[in-house]
Amino acid sequence: MEIFLQLVVSGVALGMIYATIAFGYQLTFATSRTLNFGQGEALMLGAMVGLTLVLMGVPYLLMIPFVLLFGLAQGLVVERLAVRPAMRIKSEFGWIMATIALGIIFRNMAENIWGRDDLKFPSPVSEVPLQFGAVRVLPMEIFVVIGALAMMAAVEFFNRKSIYGKAVIATSNDRDAAGLMGINTNLMISLSYAMSSMTAAFAGILVAPVTLTGATMGSVLALKAFAVAIIGGLDSALGAIVGGLLLGVIETLTGFYIATGYKDVPGLVLLLIVLALKPAGLFGKTAIKKV
Amino acid sequence: MRNAIGAIVVLAALAAFPLVIKNPYYLHLLIVIGIYAIVLLGLDIVVGYVGEVSLGHAALFGIGCYTAGVMIFQFGDAAPWIKSWGFFLLVPMAIAVTALFGLLLALPALQVTGPYLAMVTLAFGTIVQILINEMDFLTNGPLGIALRKPDFLAMFGAKGLVDATRDVQFYYVVLICAALSVLVINRIVRSHFGRAFEALRDSPIASDCMAVNVYRYKVYAVVVSAALAGLAGALYTYSEQYISPNTYSFELTILFLLGVILGGRKSRLGPIVGAAIIVYLPNLLSDIFLFRVLTAFIAALAIVIVASAFIRNAPDKYNRLIPGALCVAFFPFAMTLESVTDYRLTIFGLMILFVVYYLPDGIIGYLTKTFAALRPKREAADTGEVVVDASTVWKPREFEAPDGVLLNVKGILMQFGGLKALNNVDILVKRATVHGLIGPNGSGKSTMMNVLSGVYQPTAGSVQLLGEEIAGRTPSAIASLGIARTFQNVQLFGEMTALENVLVGLHHTYETSMAGVMLNTAASRHEEQEARKRALSILDFVGLAKVADEQARNLAYGQQRLLEIARALALDPVLLLLDEPAAGLTAPDIKELMRIIERIRSEGITLILIEHHMDVVMKICDTVTVLDFGQKIAEDVPSRVQSDPRVIEAYLGAPADAAA
Repeated sequence: MEIFLQLVVSGVALGMIYATIAFGYQLTFATSRTLNFGQGEALMLGAMVGLTLVLMGVPYLLMIPFVLLFGLAQGLVVERLAVRPAMRIKSEFGWIMATIALGIIFRNMAENIWGRDDLKFPSPVSEVPLQFGAVRVLPMEIFVVIGALAMMAAVEFFNRKSIYGKAVIATSNDRDAAGLMGINTNLMISLSYAMSSMTAAFAGILVAPVTLTGATMGSVLALKAFAVAIIGGLDSALGAIVGGLLLGVIETLTGFYIATGYKDVPGLVLLLIVLALKPAGLFGKTAIKKV
Repeated sequence: MRNAIGAIVVLAALAAFPLVIKNPYYLHLLIVIGIYAIVLLGLDIVVGYVGEVSLGHAALFGIGCYTAGVMIFQFGDAAPWIKSWGFFLLVPMAIAVTALFGLLLALPALQVTGPYLAMVTLAFGTIVQILINEMDFLTNGPLGIALRKPDFLAMFGAKGLVDATRDVQFYYVVLICAALSVLVINRIVRSHFGRAFEALRDSPIASDCMAVNVYRYKVYAVVVSAALAGLAGALYTYSEQYISPNTYSFELTILFLLGVILGGRKSRLGPIVGAAIIVYLPNLLSDIFLFRVLTAFIAALAIVIVASAFIRNAPDKYNRLIPGALCVAFFPFAMTLESVTDYRLTIFGLMILFVVYYLPDGIIGYLTKTFAALRPKREAADTGEVVVDASTVWKPREFEAPDGVLLNVKGILMQFGGLKALNNVDILVKRATVHGLIGPNGSGKSTMMNVLSGVYQPTAGSVQLLGEEIAGRTPSAIASLGIARTFQNVQLFGEMTALENVLVGLHHTYETSMAGVMLNTAASRHEEQEARKRALSILDFVGLAKVADEQARNLAYGQQRLLEIARALALDPVLLLLDEPAAGLTAPDIKELMRIIERIRSEGITLILIEHHMDVVMKICDTVTVLDFGQKIAEDVPSRVQSDPRVIEAYLGAPADAAA
């Protein structure tokens, strides 16, 4: 029972990382019905830039704003190079392939800049676990949960309270109508990509101290985060958190009770099952197609 | 015919290759190209014809590889025949196993489309790679499996007669397999299966309403595609003589997709060219000098293109600056590189971006577009003498209509959130009548059409066709029962010809299975002939026979509307739903339309007609139902409906004195 509790607690931190990335998917999907297939690379680049800064002697907390800015810029590049041209020619195939292509370019660049080996990201907080009864919790895990929640809360706050956020929501509800109301919908889509990559980059520096940092760290995380986004529904932030926690816990349990090598399998199988039974996700609304 | 001669020449040249070039390196290169070509041809069915992105084909390929590999690894020592004659068992087995996995993937995955499907197939690919790695008791895990190519000549006791190394023998095996793949795919895409694939890509909703179940045909496409990946996989295992899990990565999937889109979709030549490029590319990239020359050339080309845009003062000249500058900047970057191999993925990525935006039809597509002479001739409808006789157009369905009632709609409620688009509507449609459905905009007419054709599932109420409950059934099931429809916003299969559009409507007349199509049996050829005759006579019926070979998207608007009617008639309907057929038509076109509707009725087909042209409604309808705000406000013969005060009020508002 204690082991079980311990595993659940570890799963929560991982789950919050998934939730943050999934949240990033939701942001761009809301405005433009597109996703960045290179979201994992946005995360990886965030971690890499963060690591570089930390190794240069910049304190962890001071490094965060730089990484966030970098994430914003990276998102703008993705939107500009991969998404906007495809939206102009109305090609779904186009943006899927283009974001994949940019993703592998980023990954390959990172391999050439930072090498192919995994690096250790120094933990910003003490690495001595805290004891809560029988359960031990790493301070970094607590930091991850708080950081992820804070990030999502900040973006939600921005979306709900600021006039830009209202424009983003208007764009997500009806792009044509928003455009007619004088909202620059292209700008809103750019903004959503910038914010999406920013959350991913932030997730990168959150997850890096608890795992290893390397050029390939993002791809599987991003894929599982997509599973989370589907399980939770692509339009529900709460769904992303619930889905993330669910998957994080299932994964640590699988890793312990079955075999570490299989820990990625349940999430992906869960994705297949949810799509087969309820494609709109557990929290999503089923859309009605107009003829 | 010209294509066939070309194919024979190419095949002969390829067959002669090992006799001329003895270098085993090039032979191996050609073998791998052949194997990749088989994968890409299969992938093209999904990407090109059905129009979905699959990121799972590396995994399917891997399953094919490992089916053969695992059998040899597990049983090869106990039963040595597996290592030789086993080839003829293992290849079909790999095809079957991979097709089965394709089915397992397709059944849940094809519930969704587009980005969802891409992600799901990616998840499938990741799972497969993990499993191959982890299940070492079965697959020997990361250590991989080693084996040898079979020596066919020795097996058949022909060692002394012909002299050929195992590699050369295997080369011919791959050549035969690739040629057969091309042949089989050609037959499939030209059959009713191929038309169904293309149709569901152009308009899924119209396909479903033509009794072509979109989901089912997508599953077929993925399974065929997987079977080819399985064949290629088994061949790859023999060709490389060693397999390990790392091969079947995301990178390979991307390479496959790059091959298809770079070569050119929806063709046989495209994937083959694509395969040649993606196999040869790594060799090219290992030569730094050649690579620098290539980047210099690309930079020069980019400068020329951008400069010419500025000289011509093209409106999109600033849009070209960024890609142009990137191409130029790439050259000094290439000069600083020590080795290109490290940047292989970047180059693949750049190629994908380039192809997606500047070469969307691929190399072959670009060539055929630019040089019209290369364009394959559309197969002319070789139908012989066409009997232009309305009686051959339909074999009107034999059916009993008790009390002459064809359709009985009772208490239909269709709710979208809080909005009741249809509220407790009853409609009774008598056999062989034209039943009008009118009402102001937003009164629920089109919603009713969608309920009747199964596009919407009504919240409550019943729809009975000849006493059989159809509410809640899928559109394709309802279409099979004999309800055909047209659409308010035309939903033709734009890239297909008028004749092919009607042939999709005739899909229900085909009985040949996939196997029959692959073997091109006499029955299947006969069936196709009959269907083409019938399709042409239907086109003639609506007056479109002369544009039979024209692409639907190139037809005039009025012709497109008539083509939709023709396609619907091909279903042999008992009930035909026409959703604003006269919208946007000119006066002479409307007259022609009314004549056609009269003739359809005289064939014993019942019609429900939504129309805003009141003169049309009043002239040809036997009964008219009026909807307003989702409720039925009147139902009678046209003349009485016309003078019904509630109808007048719905259309024109209440008179001023009544309001006062």
